[in-house]
Amino acid sequence: MSAAVMMERIAEASPRFKARMAGGFYFFSLLTAAFTEIFVRGRLNFAGGYIAISGMVIVTLLVYDIFKPVNRGLSLLAAFFSFVGLSFEALRLQPQGLNMAMVFTGFYCLLIGYLIFRSTFLPRILGVLMAFAGLGWLTYLSNPLVNYLSPYNLACGLLGEASGFLWLLVMGVNAQRWKEQASAARE
Amino acid sequence: MNTPVMMERIAEASPRPRARITGVVYLLFFLTVISAEFFVKGLVVDGDAAATANNILAHESLFRVGFAINLIATALYIAVTALFYDLFKPVNRSLSLLAAFFSLVGCAIQAFSYVFYLAPFVLLGGSQYLSVFKVEQLQALALMLLKLRSQAEQIDLVFFGFYDLLIGCLILRSTFLPRILGGLMALAGLAWLIFLLPPLANYLSYYILPLGFLAELLLMLWLLVKGVNVQRWKEQARAVGEWRSQRAMHT
Repeated sequence: MSAAVMMERIAEASPRFKARMAGGFYFFSLLTAAFTEIFVRGRLNFAGGYIAISGMVIVTLLVYDIFKPVNRGLSLLAAFFSFVGLSFEALRLQPQGLNMAMVFTGFYCLLIGYLIFRSTFLPRILGVLMAFAGLGWLTYLSNPLVNYLSPYNLACGLLGEASGFLWLLVMGVNAQRWKEQASAARE
Repeated sequence: MNTPVMMERIAEASPRPRARITGVVYLLFFLTVISAEFFVKGLVVDGDAAATANNILAHESLFRVGFAINLIATALYIAVTALFYDLFKPVNRSLSLLAAFFSLVGCAIQAFSYVFYLAPFVLLGGSQYLSVFKVEQLQALALMLLKLRSQAEQIDLVFFGFYDLLIGCLILRSTFLPRILGGLMALAGLAWLIFLLPPLANYLSYYILPLGFLAELLLMLWLLVKGVNVQRWKEQARAVGEWRSQRAMHT
């Protein structure tokens, strides 16, 4: 098999499987992060955190690939926001006591929400939920606001995000529509 | 119903949607069990009965939500148990049934252990007949009962240990799931069995807990993302069906 054919194959890899993998890695990261936060202390706590972050890196790459046909530039920008957020998380940086990782995740969710809304291969309601999740995370821009709204902003963020990724995991994307949008984008 | 028709039926019932449903219920179990911990996190102060009692009374609704979510988690695990029984029936029906029994006993003990969750409300509720105790005594009793809850949990962990061990063996003997998942589950089962000696288990729990979590998490994700190998599952189911009908003819 020549290299060109192989590249073709990878690009053609079923979008449904990619969606499923994205959902799987998302819940892997979410559950690992929550588990380490609650039950694990010491060195393994650090390890758990980094495992969760690497899972989210894979999620970001897969999500970029899934939404490339909708709008390549925006999809790239979203991935960029996600990576910046994850870097803050990995370095445990909280400038002026602000949880910047959450804020960048908020921008990421807003963009993904918009992309889902504009896509033809996912239900629009998920886009709305994802955008709400983004707004929930953006409350971390101001600490008094977070204290005032907690835990509702957290619930909003988690429920919105989890419902979106649960759909990706269980239902995947509408493969036919995805391919149509992908070929339209190529032209 | 004659045998060929029955075998046809067994072969037709596709395990793929069932594997996915198992995965979804399993995922919901994980989400509920972890969110329940978030609600009650920090409310129980180790070794400080007065602070614990104040926290519980001040955040009664949080505590009760944690209780309800825990019960839902146990109910979900019972559903997971039934689904797993069905999934592994083609491998070895008796072992699959035995595993389900172990899990059900574990779930029953776990559900009962939540009584210790409610006990503090009875003690701190300020009923007339409790006035023979001093406030400090009631607070100490409340904390003691909360501690008994984690003791009860160590008992159900042993039964879940047997369960995980058997599920691990079933996956290893099956042809439709990767062996590494079976190996991990069996290992996690053995690790939970260390709770037969609670002092040793408490000493090692730093490693047991992540191992058990990882094994079940990977199994759950595999069922969700990849499901089972449908063709192999059907082959194994058919082989069992043939063996059964042969045995029925001989007896």
